[in-house]
Amino acid sequence: MAVLLIIFMTAVFGAFGDDFIEEIFIKPLPPTHLYSYFQFITLINNNDSFVHSNLSPRSIGEVISRFKVEELHLTLTEGQWRHNQWGYPVVDAAPGAELYAWFDPEVEDIDAEWRKLSATLSGLFCASLNFIDSFNTITPQMALWPTGPVKSNVNVTSLLRYASLPREIVCTENLTPWKKLLPCESSRGFSALLNSRMIHNTNYHSIGVHVRKVCASEDCTETKLEIKQTVALVYDYKIIGSNNWSFIKLFGHGLPGACPLATTSTIYIDITSNVTFPFQLSPPPDKIVSSHRGGSVTNLAVYNIETDVEMINVGVKHNSKEKLGVNVPPPLHFNRYVLGYGKEFGGIVTELINNYWTAIDVVVLENAPWWLPIQLSSLRINSEAESKLVKSQYYSPGRSRQKPYHLELLLTLPPRSTTTITIDFEFVFLKWQEYPPDANHGFYIGSAIVTANLPTAKNYTSIPVSGISYNSTFNASQPWYPAVFRTNGAMVSLPTPDFSMPYNVICLACTVVALAFGPLHNICTKELLLKPIGTPLSLTQKVLNFFKRKKE
Amino acid sequence: MAAIMKYMIAGLVRYWLIHIDYWQTIANRVEIATPLNSWKRLVEGVFLYDHNINPYEGDSFHESPIMLLIFHCLMKRVPYLLPLLFTVLDLLTAYLLYKTSKSFIKIFIESQKKQNDDIAEESKTMLLNETQLTEAADYVLSVYLFNPYSVLNCAGMTTTVIQNLLVATSLWSASNGYGILACIFIALATHQALYPVLLIVPIAILLADVNKGCNKCSYIRTLLVFVLCWGFLIYISAYIMDGSYNYLHNTYGFILTVPDLKPNIGLFWYFFTEMFEHFRLLFVCAFQINALALYVIPLTLRFKREPVLLATVLIALSTIFRSYPCIGDVGFYLALLPMWKHLFTFMQQKFIVGCAFIITSALGPTVWHLWIYSGSANANFFFGVTLSFATAQIFLITDLLFAYIKREFTLKHGLSRQVDGKPAKLVLR
Repeated sequence: MAVLLIIFMTAVFGAFGDDFIEEIFIKPLPPTHLYSYFQFITLINNNDSFVHSNLSPRSIGEVISRFKVEELHLTLTEGQWRHNQWGYPVVDAAPGAELYAWFDPEVEDIDAEWRKLSATLSGLFCASLNFIDSFNTITPQMALWPTGPVKSNVNVTSLLRYASLPREIVCTENLTPWKKLLPCESSRGFSALLNSRMIHNTNYHSIGVHVRKVCASEDCTETKLEIKQTVALVYDYKIIGSNNWSFIKLFGHGLPGACPLATTSTIYIDITSNVTFPFQLSPPPDKIVSSHRGGSVTNLAVYNIETDVEMINVGVKHNSKEKLGVNVPPPLHFNRYVLGYGKEFGGIVTELINNYWTAIDVVVLENAPWWLPIQLSSLRINSEAESKLVKSQYYSPGRSRQKPYHLELLLTLPPRSTTTITIDFEFVFLKWQEYPPDANHGFYIGSAIVTANLPTAKNYTSIPVSGISYNSTFNASQPWYPAVFRTNGAMVSLPTPDFSMPYNVICLACTVVALAFGPLHNICTKELLLKPIGTPLSLTQKVLNFFKRKKE
Repeated sequence: MAAIMKYMIAGLVRYWLIHIDYWQTIANRVEIATPLNSWKRLVEGVFLYDHNINPYEGDSFHESPIMLLIFHCLMKRVPYLLPLLFTVLDLLTAYLLYKTSKSFIKIFIESQKKQNDDIAEESKTMLLNETQLTEAADYVLSVYLFNPYSVLNCAGMTTTVIQNLLVATSLWSASNGYGILACIFIALATHQALYPVLLIVPIAILLADVNKGCNKCSYIRTLLVFVLCWGFLIYISAYIMDGSYNYLHNTYGFILTVPDLKPNIGLFWYFFTEMFEHFRLLFVCAFQINALALYVIPLTLRFKREPVLLATVLIALSTIFRSYPCIGDVGFYLALLPMWKHLFTFMQQKFIVGCAFIITSALGPTVWHLWIYSGSANANFFFGVTLSFATAQIFLITDLLFAYIKREFTLKHGLSRQVDGKPAKLVLR
């Protein structure tokens, strides 16, 4: 009976032409960390699938069609990806919440739709995306480009909106609604591994939803909709207890088999580091693939997972105890920090380090909130006001409580160099009700976006733009490798007023105003008279005089 | 000769202060630079304008487009001359104030002659004589040149230097009866900082007094010319910004609605930091009316015979109650006070006010450092100091007015404070 049902269901979904792919990519980040990346891809052939929602999550489909979204990226991240130690992730994400979307050119009031979109997603993912408003939204000009096909006559930049909420704390309440979007939810398939007790025990975790259009045919006249849900986790061997990891150690239990609705369910394990840190995989992989991409070789162990199998526990056993290795940083990495002391003036420094032997072109997007007014006149690149490295520049000044400061620079990083971008800011004094709870905790500055066309695929794990599943990275050599990175965020401590005394301040300031008003009123309305100084009056006389004066 | 020495020394001090290593610190002090007048923001505005970004799109620039254009030219062509320019402009202000006080003193003497009949015989000794008055003009000059407030204001290269020059020029023109010139300069000052709009009242009276003739015609003419000039300037500014009036939000809008709550020596910043959002509009209106409109009419009615006093008091009051005051404004009206040297004997709170000025000037930077840099004090400390500074200024002004009416009374009724042979005291009734 069960077999019949499965056959029937497969037939139905086959008729719709929808596909569901689940993949896990695991890469040791020697010597101390382990990166595991999950992606669940739903491909929808025709948009009617939202009406007869089968594999595709209906809620996402409705959001996409109602707000006329062409492409959408939402990530909720806790922790900081360390590019200089860990290389590059498959999908980079900014700490906190990050949302950006391209709208359909037919949308008239993009800002209004954007607010509605963020409010809806806020409800869908239980995240504070409803705090996205015009004061923290920007339209990146050079840093972000759609990953799906676009019509050549459309100015896509004006259709883009970007916002990040670096203060957002990501936790189980975001993961649960995220899992509900999957066809198998968390009962079967790879998503069964995503046990919130374990995945929040990591150094870095990021969940994301990426919706885009992909070409359905060679000439791209027809498009499919791709909904990709991702999870990236970085485990610390110290937390696991040893560098011999297994699914049970990472996720609390083994893999109960593939999702029955999935077309393919594959696990990829990067075993390139086996040479320097020898280990054995158990169970042995189905096959081992060697991928040559842009001059670097990656060896991947591949497991094809079937639906009805015993509990699988993929694991690694190292031959020797922990060993220290030399960390070779990736071709491009960066660092960001805040300068200055006191709470009056400061500066943000973004360091871009190019280790490669050719120049790399990058776009740096600085997005400073309105309460951190940056001064463009103080922009220095390697301490030069007019740097030859800047090829293009875009600046949109911010306005208090309305608009953030937005600076984009197209830079050419010389080979083997460190480029330092410095910009000064002034601390803003907010109204007392504008401070968040625990005002002295500090204020988060979002990360800068660094977009680069890398000349080498060293440490590069991303899926090519035209690809869908992870195996499209195999032997995918290109002239360059586009990548969007986020630098680390930073924190500043704004000067605070005394929150306990609004009444006192109002009273005192008004008293001082009254001190002027009283005498001036007297001077303007009364005149000077000489009054004899008599013997001091008794109390009764004083009272009598008082009433007499009234009568007069 | 002595006067030239004074100018030389004052000029050199200012020029030297602009070139020392601590210049940045001076130019960034909260007491000296406000969001409205700071050099840093002027540089940022000009930089944005130079890069074809509208500086009024953002929140960093609040000067008028005319200033933007002038400083754009200056910074592009002769950036090395700017310190010298600021010094020279400030010395020019001092010179104009000196000239103005001389003309004012002539006006005093004339009005004294007119009132000669009303003056009690025993008070005749109190009348002003020429030498006292020339001394007063010298004091005005010295106070403006060597008052630390004015010196630091110029050293910080704030646009208040230009503001002071415009106001001084308009006062000088009015005291000499150049109606149109006075109107043009007061319109320029108003265009830059709004609050000098109050001065049109004393200037109109002054012009009518100086250019004898039909008083009402003169008032109307002055007002008309002023409004025309101001309107023209607003139009010209919009023309510079390609016909867009959006700059008004960043200039007058910024002054009136007080969106930037960075501390300064005024009363607004902490009051509106701690204000309940619900009442914000009410109190913004109340405070702005207090600064702009409340005292003009009563003081004008009371002191219409003394336009010079009216001008001094209105400048001082608008300085105390404006949304972004700085010590440059304070230095300016303090320089006008020596003209009233003959009132000092009637003032009762000179000592208190003097002490308060000295103490708050020393304490202000100290508690600011404690709050912002060492984190061992909080905002209340600095607020307390600014509050006492404002109180001291208010005492100074009200005391001056009381002194004036006391002197008026004494001139009329003699020095004796006796009624029917019994000792008596002066009271307001």
